[in-house]
Amino acid sequence: MDHFPTNWGRPRNDTVDAYNTYPLHQRPDWRPKDSFADGIQRTQQPIVTGTSVLAIKYKDGIMMAADNLASYGSLARFKDIQRLHVVGDYTILGAGGDMSDFQHIQHTLDSLMIEEFSVDDGHKLGPPEIYEYLSRLMYGRRSEMNPLWNSILVGGFKDGKSFLGYVDLLGTTYSASTLATGYGSMIAQPLLRKAVEGREHLITEEEAREIIKTSMKVLFYRDARSLNKYQIGTITAAGPKIYEAQSSETEWSFAEGIRGYGAQTQ
Amino acid sequence: MSIMELNGGSVIAMVGKDCVAIASDLRLGNQALSISSNFQKIFPVTDRIYIGLPGLASDVATLRERFRLRVNMYTIKEERELEPETFAHLVSSTLYEKRFSPYFVEPVVAGLSKLPTSTPESPKFKPFICGTDLIGCLNFAKDFIVCGTASEKLFGVAEGLWEPDLEPEDLFETISQTLLNAVDRDAFSGWGAVVHVLTPDKVITRTLRGRMD
Amino acid sequence: MPQQRQFNPYSENGGTILAIAGADFAVVAGDTRQSEGYSIQTRYAPKVFRLTDKAVLAVNGFAADGNILVKTVKQRLEWYRHAHAKDMPLRAIARLIQTILYAKRFFPYYVYNILGGIEEDGTGAVYSFDPVGSYEREACRAAGAAQALVQPFLDNQIYFKNQKPKPGQSHPTHLPLDHVLSLVIDSFTSATERHIEVGDGLEIYVVLARGHSAQGLSNIPGAQEISQTDEGERVFVVRRDLKKD
Repeated sequence: MDHFPTNWGRPRNDTVDAYNTYPLHQRPDWRPKDSFADGIQRTQQPIVTGTSVLAIKYKDGIMMAADNLASYGSLARFKDIQRLHVVGDYTILGAGGDMSDFQHIQHTLDSLMIEEFSVDDGHKLGPPEIYEYLSRLMYGRRSEMNPLWNSILVGGFKDGKSFLGYVDLLGTTYSASTLATGYGSMIAQPLLRKAVEGREHLITEEEAREIIKTSMKVLFYRDARSLNKYQIGTITAAGPKIYEAQSSETEWSFAEGIRGYGAQTQ
Repeated sequence: MSIMELNGGSVIAMVGKDCVAIASDLRLGNQALSISSNFQKIFPVTDRIYIGLPGLASDVATLRERFRLRVNMYTIKEERELEPETFAHLVSSTLYEKRFSPYFVEPVVAGLSKLPTSTPESPKFKPFICGTDLIGCLNFAKDFIVCGTASEKLFGVAEGLWEPDLEPEDLFETISQTLLNAVDRDAFSGWGAVVHVLTPDKVITRTLRGRMD
Repeated sequence: MPQQRQFNPYSENGGTILAIAGADFAVVAGDTRQSEGYSIQTRYAPKVFRLTDKAVLAVNGFAADGNILVKTVKQRLEWYRHAHAKDMPLRAIARLIQTILYAKRFFPYYVYNILGGIEEDGTGAVYSFDPVGSYEREACRAAGAAQALVQPFLDNQIYFKNQKPKPGQSHPTHLPLDHVLSLVIDSFTSATERHIEVGDGLEIYVVLARGHSAQGLSNIPGAQEISQTDEGERVFVVRRDLKKD
C-alpha cells in the first residue's frame, strides 16, 4: 500500500521503499524535460578573438589603433575585421577579446544612438556617457555570470575635453593617458608611457602617429596572434575618423642567424 | 597547511651604530594550539655571532646542532675565530645541500665583524646582519631582516620605526617595539620575546613579557 | 560534456586604505594605484570618496564592485536628502552600508570599506566593514593589500600598544591633527617601500568638526578645501606623490 496520496494513480517509484516514511517520498516528475538544458553555455569562452588595442592622449585628442585580425584559436581566420568602431559624433571604441560579443556591443550602442536621436532633445551622448553605459552593461553581464568577453578602450573628444577609458569583461574600469589591452598592456604600454606620460599636451598628431606605429610594429614582431595590417583612429575637435588599413615596415633578415634557443643551437 | 606555519614563530634583526640586535618570540605551537611559551629560537654561535632560526621546530633543533658541528670544525681547522660573513655562507651552503628536500627554516644571522684595521689593543667592529630563505639564498640588508610567520607585519612596523645609527639602548627599544607590536597581530607568534643586543664589549640579553593571548 | 572553464567574476586590484579618528576630526586616506597581478592599470584611480559634508568613504578590493558600491551609496544618500531635506548622519550611513553589503551576502561585493567623518555629537569617527557588512566603530583602521604592514604600526603609534606612559602620566586618547597626518604619510611611504601594489599617489581626506581650526594642515603643502557646511564642518583633501616603482 502506498501511503502517499500524491502518488496514487501514478507509476511506482522503485528507488524508494513505498512502505517507509524515509526518505521522504518523491513524486515522479513527468514534466517535459529540456534535453538541451546542459547544453546552454552561459559561462562561455571566447571563440573568434581580437588581440591588443592601443590608445594614447595627444595635443588634439585621442589616437587609437588595432589590427585587422580576428583569430580562431591559433588560426588567423578573418584578416579584414575592423576592431575600431565609431559611436555617435564624439567617440571611438576599440575592442579585444571575443569578436561576436563586440559586434553585439556595436549593435547595442548603435541602437542606443538611434533611440537618443529619436528623442530629439538636442542632446548628444558624449564619451563619458557612452563609457558609463558600456561599463554598466559589462558589469551587469558579469554579475549575471554571463559576461561579454572583451576588453574595450573608449576614446573621445567633446567640448574641448579628451577622454580615454578602459572597461573589461569584469566591469573593471580605469582611465590613463596611455592605455593598452591584452598583450599590448605588457609589451606596448611601457613604450607608450615612456613616450607620452607627462607630455600629453605637447605631442603633435605626427608624433602620436609615430609612437603608435612603433608600438604596433613591436607588437607584430612579438604577438603571435597579431597581423601586420592595422587601422588608426583619431578623435579630435574635427570628430572621429578611422583611417585606411596600413602595415609596418618589418625586417626579418636577423631570423637567418637564429639557430634555436637553449640547448638546441645546431 | 604550510609546514612553515606548523610551529609558528618569528625573528627580527636590526643594525645600529656599532651594534646589532636580534630578537624573537618564545612561542611553540602545533598549528593554532600553543604548546610552550619558552621555546628558544635564537642561539649564540660565537661571542659575536647570533643566529635566529624561525620555522619547523624539529629542523630548528637539527640545524642548531649542524651549525655547532660545522662551526667547531671550522675553528679547529682554521685556528681562528669565525667571522659573521663566513658564517652566513656556511649557513647558506648547509641549506642548499638540501635543495630538493629542504630544512623548513629561514635563518637570520646577526653579528659584529672585525674590521681589517682592528688590533688586539683597540678592536674595531662593523655591524653585520643577513637573512636567507629556506634553501639558502642570502640577503645582506643594511637596515633590518625579518623572518617567520609575522614577517609581513614585522616589515611594516620596522619600516616605520627603524632609523640609521641607533645607539644600543635605542636599538633595543626599536627592535622590542617592532617585534611586540608585530607578533600581537600574528596568531602564530608571541607569548613573550627575547632580545639580544650585541655591542663591541658586551651582549645585552633581555626577556620581554608579551600578551599571552 | 565540453571542457568548461569556470568564469571568475572577481579580481583583486591592490592598493591600501587607512582611516584615523581624532577627537573632533577624521582622516581617511588611500593610495591611487590600481593594479591587476604585476600590471599597473593606472597610476590614478581614486579609492576615497566624499559622500556628504561630514562623511568620507574609502573602498578597497575589487575595483568594479567598489565603484558600483560607491555609486549605490551616493544614490541612496541623494534619495535621503530629497526625502528628509538634510544629509544622512554618519552612523546611519554606516548602517546603510551594512544593509547594502549584506543584501549581496551570497554574491558579495568583494570590497573592504572604511567610513570616516563627524558624528552628530561632533566627535570624529571611523567605521570599518568586512565584505558582507559586519561593522564596528573604531579609532583607527587599515585595510587592503598592506593591511598587515600598516595595522600593527598603528596599534603602536595610535593606541600606544606595548608602550608604558611615564609615571604619573597617561597616554592621550586622541592625537592632534598634524601628528595624525604625519603618521598617515609615514604609513603609506613605508607600505610603498615594501609592497608592490602600493604607490604612485596618496589622497588624504580630512574632515574637521565645527570650530576646529585648519591649524594642523598648515605645514602640509597642497591641502585643498573641497566643501564647507553652514554649521562649519569642513572637508579638505591633500594629494601627495608616492614612489612609482
